[in-house]
Amino acid sequence: MAFAPIAVDDVKATDFIGISEPQDIDFGDGELLECLRAGEEKCFETLVRNVGPQVLATAKRYLRSDAEAADCFQDTFLAVFQGIDRFEQRSSLRTWVRRITINQCLMRIRKQVRRKEESIEHLLPAFDEKGHRIENGGISQPSTISESLDSERLRSIVREKIGELPDDYRLVLLLRDIDGYTTSETAAILRIKSNAVKTRLHRARTALKSLLTPVLEQRECHANV
Amino acid sequence: MLTCKEFDDFMLDYLEGGLPVWQKFMCWMHVKMCRECAYFVQKYRRVITLGKDAFQSPDGMLPDYVPEELVKAALAHRRSK
Ligand SMILES: [Zn+2]
Repeated sequence: MAFAPIAVDDVKATDFIGISEPQDIDFGDGELLECLRAGEEKCFETLVRNVGPQVLATAKRYLRSDAEAADCFQDTFLAVFQGIDRFEQRSSLRTWVRRITINQCLMRIRKQVRRKEESIEHLLPAFDEKGHRIENGGISQPSTISESLDSERLRSIVREKIGELPDDYRLVLLLRDIDGYTTSETAAILRIKSNAVKTRLHRARTALKSLLTPVLEQRECHANV
Repeated sequence: MLTCKEFDDFMLDYLEGGLPVWQKFMCWMHVKMCRECAYFVQKYRRVITLGKDAFQSPDGMLPDYVPEELVKAALAHRRSK
């Protein structure tokens, strides 16, 4: 599927209606916003220091290298600074910045020469001719992890396995399950139909389940010893 | 009763509460009657939780601060435009 590029200018405050933001920050009666619009350097610095960790984390989540995430960090704040006059305060500033970060990531991903990605068909459920589920269909990858898994190691493996998913599936999974966008918001961000979001999400979760099954079974096995 | 394949087609909407009552009931029945699908749903839910949890760890992929050079670079990047 070819992605249509999204320009930062396409990011409008109306895109953010209904997106909740649990970790909002108090920018005090729009003072910071006014200050940003006045172009004061110290206010930009305040913004970078306040929402910077979120921007960096989001960029690292969507992009596949730290160097790219760092470049994306800079481009995101440039887009924020250049677009601050268009921010209509229908969402929090943090939510707006997060959406711009994601759009910057998507622009980068779309510009990249598309990697030849493996099919995930072998990770999806198998059914017999009568439609009965074939237990463990398509799950046969041996685990190379030999040590007992602590929680942090497991989290790291889950992130790694999500990273192994082809972008069409990985992006939907990140937007829906990790960043908490709704199906229709995800469809708008990726410019695909809601039904395509649902199909990809289900496949992404199912493929991730297959990728993680050997790891989880090993973990449960260790726990039972 | 639904086949496993039919249940799989409905599964995402079923788990997200997006099905009409009758289809929801059919899915519920299938999970009650089918051990394989019940097991599958259990693992599927676990994977959703693991995915969310993976990005909220102590290192959380959310640093407490941004490296100073990155902050300075972002500000310089703005000044240069
Ligand atoms: Zn079944």
